[in-house]
Amino acid sequence: MRSETGFDPALYDRFPTKGPRPEGEEEELRRIWCKPKGWEYLTVVNNNYVGIYYLGTAFLFFLLAGVLALLMRAQLAAPMLEILPQGTYNQVFTMHGTVMMFLFAVPAVEAAGVLLLPQMLAARDLPFPRLSAYAFWAYAVGGLCFFASIFVGLAPDGGWFMYPPLTSKAYSPGINTDFWLLGIGFIEISAIAGAIEIIVGVLRTRAPGMSLDKMPIFAWAMLVFAVMIVIAFPSIILGTLLLEIERALGWPFFDATRGGDPLLWQHLFWFFGHPEVYIIFLPAAGMLSMIVATVAREALVGYRLIVLAMVATGFISFGVWAHHMFTTGMPPMTTGFFSAASMAVSLPAGIQVFSWIATLAVGTPRFNAPGLFILGSIVIFVAGGLTGVMVAMVPFDWQAHDSYFIVAHLHYVLIGGMVFPLFAAFYYWIPMVSRRALSERLAKWVFGLMFAGMNIAFLPMHLAGLQGMPRRVYTYLPGQGLELPNLISTIGAFMLGAGVLLFLVDLARNFRLAPGEGNAGNVYGGGTLEWLPSELYSTRSIPVVKSREPLWDDPALGDDVAAGRYFLPGSATGLRETIVTSPLLAEPQYLQIMPGPSGWPFAAAIFTAGFFLALTVQAYGFAWASGVFAIIAVLRWLWETDRRVEAERVDIGAGIEVPTYVTGPSSHGWWAMVILLVVMGMIFVMALFSLAFLWSNQPAFWMTPPPLGEASVVLLLYGVAFLLALAGRGALRWRPSASVALLSASAAASAVALWLDYRGWTHTGLVPQATGQGAAIYALQALAACAVAIGLLMAAYCALRAARALVSQPRNNSIDLTVLLLGYTATQGLVGAIFGRLIGAGA
Amino acid sequence: MKSWLILLAGLLIWAAHFFLLYGIGEFAGDGRAARIAVGLATIGALGLVAAIGWRIGRMYAAAGFASWRRGVAFFGLVLGAVAILWQSLPAIIV
Repeated sequence: MRSETGFDPALYDRFPTKGPRPEGEEEELRRIWCKPKGWEYLTVVNNNYVGIYYLGTAFLFFLLAGVLALLMRAQLAAPMLEILPQGTYNQVFTMHGTVMMFLFAVPAVEAAGVLLLPQMLAARDLPFPRLSAYAFWAYAVGGLCFFASIFVGLAPDGGWFMYPPLTSKAYSPGINTDFWLLGIGFIEISAIAGAIEIIVGVLRTRAPGMSLDKMPIFAWAMLVFAVMIVIAFPSIILGTLLLEIERALGWPFFDATRGGDPLLWQHLFWFFGHPEVYIIFLPAAGMLSMIVATVAREALVGYRLIVLAMVATGFISFGVWAHHMFTTGMPPMTTGFFSAASMAVSLPAGIQVFSWIATLAVGTPRFNAPGLFILGSIVIFVAGGLTGVMVAMVPFDWQAHDSYFIVAHLHYVLIGGMVFPLFAAFYYWIPMVSRRALSERLAKWVFGLMFAGMNIAFLPMHLAGLQGMPRRVYTYLPGQGLELPNLISTIGAFMLGAGVLLFLVDLARNFRLAPGEGNAGNVYGGGTLEWLPSELYSTRSIPVVKSREPLWDDPALGDDVAAGRYFLPGSATGLRETIVTSPLLAEPQYLQIMPGPSGWPFAAAIFTAGFFLALTVQAYGFAWASGVFAIIAVLRWLWETDRRVEAERVDIGAGIEVPTYVTGPSSHGWWAMVILLVVMGMIFVMALFSLAFLWSNQPAFWMTPPPLGEASVVLLLYGVAFLLALAGRGALRWRPSASVALLSASAAASAVALWLDYRGWTHTGLVPQATGQGAAIYALQALAACAVAIGLLMAAYCALRAARALVSQPRNNSIDLTVLLLGYTATQGLVGAIFGRLIGAGA
Repeated sequence: MKSWLILLAGLLIWAAHFFLLYGIGEFAGDGRAARIAVGLATIGALGLVAAIGWRIGRMYAAAGFASWRRGVAFFGLVLGAVAILWQSLPAIIV
């Protein structure tokens, strides 16, 4: 294959360089990437810190949700116990599921990505370190406040999937449900921020030469994981918004008596909810694949097939959401499609399992701590997968639905597919960040207790479910044959808890965190780049990658990297920086100047959390003030970015020069913006789906929309807004003020178009509170209004930068990204205006 | 973009086919016309898989990334074809 960027691969032969490096080069790196002191631990953005904070917080939520699980098992140990009152039990099971899924599982794997990826890819840091810090603080503050709701009896109690009408205002009048809707909706924003960081990081900051076929399998897993978040999470963001609007304003999206449909929630929830299972599983599978190879001392068997399997899982998992809805009375043919896809998704999962088994079979495995946990993981996950195929069959699902069989199945999948791999990863990678490895002796006890406890707890639940025990009951009657399986399950749950407790003891005894001050090293003999000698700036120099396990294939690599004989052995500009490479072949493209520590991401996170939490408790004045401060904090943090440095090109090693400022589709900022627009686009697409779904299922409540011809001025204005945005990019060559004027005009044109569109609908007499159609139409307009408001804000921001002479010519990233957003805003408005008038037009 | 399209061709076709089938089932019911539409969509999708497979098979691929890309694309097309065929069966047998 030809070069992707024009870079000559023969230049790689200049490495490792010969001769000594200049005096003080490494000291300067240490100075630039120095340790924080005192309050600076709150403003730190380096992945070595943020990753650890993130992982520690996620693990804390695992422990908290685990305690809730033990409370439930204590309550169910015998019939008719009253340890937890019924209402409290409802809150406890809702919080257990919600915290495990939203506050532990997704953040834990995202945290692992933040911590491990820069090391694994030999980047200095992820490309948007302040975004990582914002994502973490938003999650930590929001999550802890959300969890605290259980101490005051205000925790949500409608189950982790919050089905209306149970969660509608009529049946859940308190603010418990609002805590879930606003709290979780907000935490999803944090997950999406992390996903954008990971996609751009994996695709653009790999070490030179690390083409896609040489990428560590964990990086592949994280890439698929992050793309899945971008596609799946918008659906639940929209769902939570719509349900909150229904509760707050009475717009009947899910109220069947007014032309809404509660099944719409189930579609929106599970379009996110089932891929969520794979979102959790894939990074864990990526970790497992990395560890299996090291444990077996053998390259992973079927790397190419595993990559395909991960990507295929990512795709097919979006075709299985309605298998959670087999009992809702969907048409038989549609049910059949989802059943078939649910069985098909086991194919790529099976490919991965067979590859792990084959790697262990052809290698010489050592059953050390990570080895034990991966074996346990494979056994448990396969068992959960098999019961998954069982419930993919519609007649069986009808029998097992909402019974303890499902509880058993999902815990086998999630514990085998995520928790055990995560513990394997703890044992495997803790020597990378701690001065001491964890104890192998204690690990055997931890594994034994957890493996036995898990099976003792959940195996009998299959039986209890088949005997007819429904999920989510706080007690059961004696004499139904449920006493023994429940007692055994409770004993198993406490054994599992004891295993986790022993793990905490091991952590207390041996985990000694000291970023940048030495570590236990490569105790298991891994072959990938995270085991290179590293400090807070990651590796001293960035190696040229020639294989998938470079440390196995080139034993001298570690010494050469530490001696600065590869790319970027010092700082080229005196600032934090990393090499941005091309997405396929990882050819060096430019030097990214990275932002350093700042208090603004922290402030933005606090105020964002304040906005959502204040909305929940209906403190609207405080909420809006927090929202404004959050926006100011974000703009202030951005203000320091997108600035050129004096040197236009710099030497990044061996005489190879790259630019220090790049704009357009090559820049990492452009990539991040495009991904953000995909998120916004997915929210919009799901809103269009909602409109079409309600029309299809509630035609009796549908009024004929106004003719499309009446919206010709609206469509014309949106078209003009799009062209003005494009012209704004071109005008920057001439004068920044002209560019800013055109961008402002584009935003204004979209705003006027939206106003006319809104007036067009109000003239028809359509009211949002009256019917599902009205609610969905005005929800589309509200989404368009959000995009327009952001467009206006960005245009004003660019105007301010231009006034301070911060807009570079002939191209500038801030202008480019604003153009992208304004172009999107116009397109979304145009499509929304047309779609709303076409749905139901022939009725 | 071309490389991504080659790598993901089989799965992209699967996705288009699946959502088309869901759209037919959700909005057009499950009568005879809907089942014929499912059949036509399936024949079209499998034809597209075969055409792209033939095209990829004829592409020159030196060792290294290009060869790896061709291998992943080929297996992706096979997996996509199996999944497409499998998920269309309910239109015939249900």
